[in-house]
Amino acid sequence: MPFGRRNVFLALLAIGAIIPAFANGYQLFVGNLVTIYILLAIGLNILVGYAGQLAFANAAMFGIGAYATGLLQVHLGWPFWIAFPSGGLVAAAVGTLLALPALRMSGLYLALSTLAFAQATQWVFLHWERVTFGAGGFKTPQLSFAPLPISKPIGLYYVSLGLVVLLYVFARHVVTSRTGRAFVAVRDGEIAAESLGIDLLRYKALAFGISGFYAGIAGGLYSALLNFVAPEGYDLFQMIIHKATIVVGGMGSIAGSVIGAAIIILVLELLREVKGLQEIAFGALLVGFVLFMRGGLITVLRRYLRGWEEPLRIKGGESTETPPRAAPQPSVVDK
Amino acid sequence: MLLFSYLLMSGITTGALYALVALGIVVVNKATGVINFAQGEFFMFTGFVGWMLHVQFGMNYPLSFLLAVTVGFLLGTLTDRIAFRPIAKTDIVSLVLATVGIGFILKGLARVIWGGKADYLSFPPITSPEPIMVGSLMVIPQQLAVLAGTIIIMLIFAAFFRLTRAGKMMQATADNSRAALLVGIRTDRIYTLAFGTGAAIAAAAAVLTAPLTLLYPDIGFAFFLKGFAAAVLGGLTSLPGAVLGGLIVGIAESLAGGYIHSSVMELSPFLVIMIVLVLRPTGLLSFRKARRV
Repeated sequence: MPFGRRNVFLALLAIGAIIPAFANGYQLFVGNLVTIYILLAIGLNILVGYAGQLAFANAAMFGIGAYATGLLQVHLGWPFWIAFPSGGLVAAAVGTLLALPALRMSGLYLALSTLAFAQATQWVFLHWERVTFGAGGFKTPQLSFAPLPISKPIGLYYVSLGLVVLLYVFARHVVTSRTGRAFVAVRDGEIAAESLGIDLLRYKALAFGISGFYAGIAGGLYSALLNFVAPEGYDLFQMIIHKATIVVGGMGSIAGSVIGAAIIILVLELLREVKGLQEIAFGALLVGFVLFMRGGLITVLRRYLRGWEEPLRIKGGESTETPPRAAPQPSVVDK
Repeated sequence: MLLFSYLLMSGITTGALYALVALGIVVVNKATGVINFAQGEFFMFTGFVGWMLHVQFGMNYPLSFLLAVTVGFLLGTLTDRIAFRPIAKTDIVSLVLATVGIGFILKGLARVIWGGKADYLSFPPITSPEPIMVGSLMVIPQQLAVLAGTIIIMLIFAAFFRLTRAGKMMQATADNSRAALLVGIRTDRIYTLAFGTGAAIAAAAAVLTAPLTLLYPDIGFAFFLKGFAAAVLGGLTSLPGAVLGGLIVGIAESLAGGYIHSSVMELSPFLVIMIVLVLRPTGLLSFRKARRV
């Protein structure tokens, strides 16, 4: 299987690792954006694609990570290397709290209450001016890799790339572990899952927490990349970008998240001149993929390339070979 | 007292508009069981259509109103055909994402077509802008016009459900879609009609409110959330509940904005949605069995 997923991704990683050698500043910036959105897409996919929780608060988590990382440096004078993981943990904590309403509602109602939560987060960013500096945003301290002889963009790029590898591997392990199977059981039927002894509170909280952590880490990297944090970076439009990455790449697929993020950033950068066109493009991508390719691009790769099969994937687009809902293949469920 | 009366009056006016947006959401949800996430963008887009016809093309107000409502109805039926009918039997995630996608396409279109002129377009008032005193109440005539328009639309709506054949078929479908299908009602068409009606109400609300507020491409989402908060207060499937919920949200928001701080107004939908969905998911008017949330 020369074009199996592992080989392709290792080759992509090798290309990613040597990009700074020949890329100009803008290309490196875009490359770094791709790594950030891969993290966002993986986190959101664990929550929506695997655990089936249709939450719309990912952009808010992204913002909380960015604000926490920036504000801990600005107000408390913490160095970036402590503020950054703390920002991820803050977002994970807020995400876990969001699981509480998710216990009482699902589907549409969860979607709307998390939308309202995202709106409230924006409100806090805008109006808690003493801490967040309001609508104008604030500059974060310049990141430096002082003792090492590398510039900030290249250093940050390698940090992001390393985190992508680390968190990609971690996510693959989570979704194929007992926890991941519990997520899928919750997605396919909450009552059935509960009757199998799966603790809904625990696994929903875990899914929200993991997804919040990924978004928070991405937010910290984003604040360092831009050296600037402002409310409009984490609004509804940001949310639609995240949703589009997992819909285009493939719900319920960690590999699909990587592909989706790369394509979405490409579209975003190609249309960066006109915000209206970006909105039309992302809206059309969402509608188009939902209508014609549910399951995303990853289903095409799975169909035509050997070595791209994944366990526990969401059904869609390939109904002939996927098992019926709530009845996963025995080989996957058995230990 | 003057401040209170002014706040109350503006609360009732905005509340009536939220009630209209909520009615649009409830009509679609009652018939199809789905929330149309593009409802706020219908409101925004048709508001711009009304502005274009009235201000740019110089049509008179009633004609632009009717045309905008027609455009709204067509947008609604189109949404049904694109983002609901083909995927109605799939999962809720797809349904939500499809209507979200439609909403963003409309928002982008509005930004491309009308956004460049000036980000904030204003609609000329249809009555004199001078406030008048009714007893000890200070009232802006435009508010009265909006209120009257809203009440008329609600009455038309009630009559439609009570008196017309299509309205009765919609009620039957909402009650039990399988039974409705069995007695020969084409439920597919009812769903289309529901999406169209919901969007037409949003259009009516938009053209009514346009003289009081400013139009910009991002206005839809705020109205959608507030309309949804109102609909949730009313229990999401109750038409009178949606009206009551809209008035409550509008008045509470106006009083909080006047006496506490104007920024509090934007927080109201979050508080209402969270509190109602967690504590009393059946809404204020419902005494029946608990609804699935």
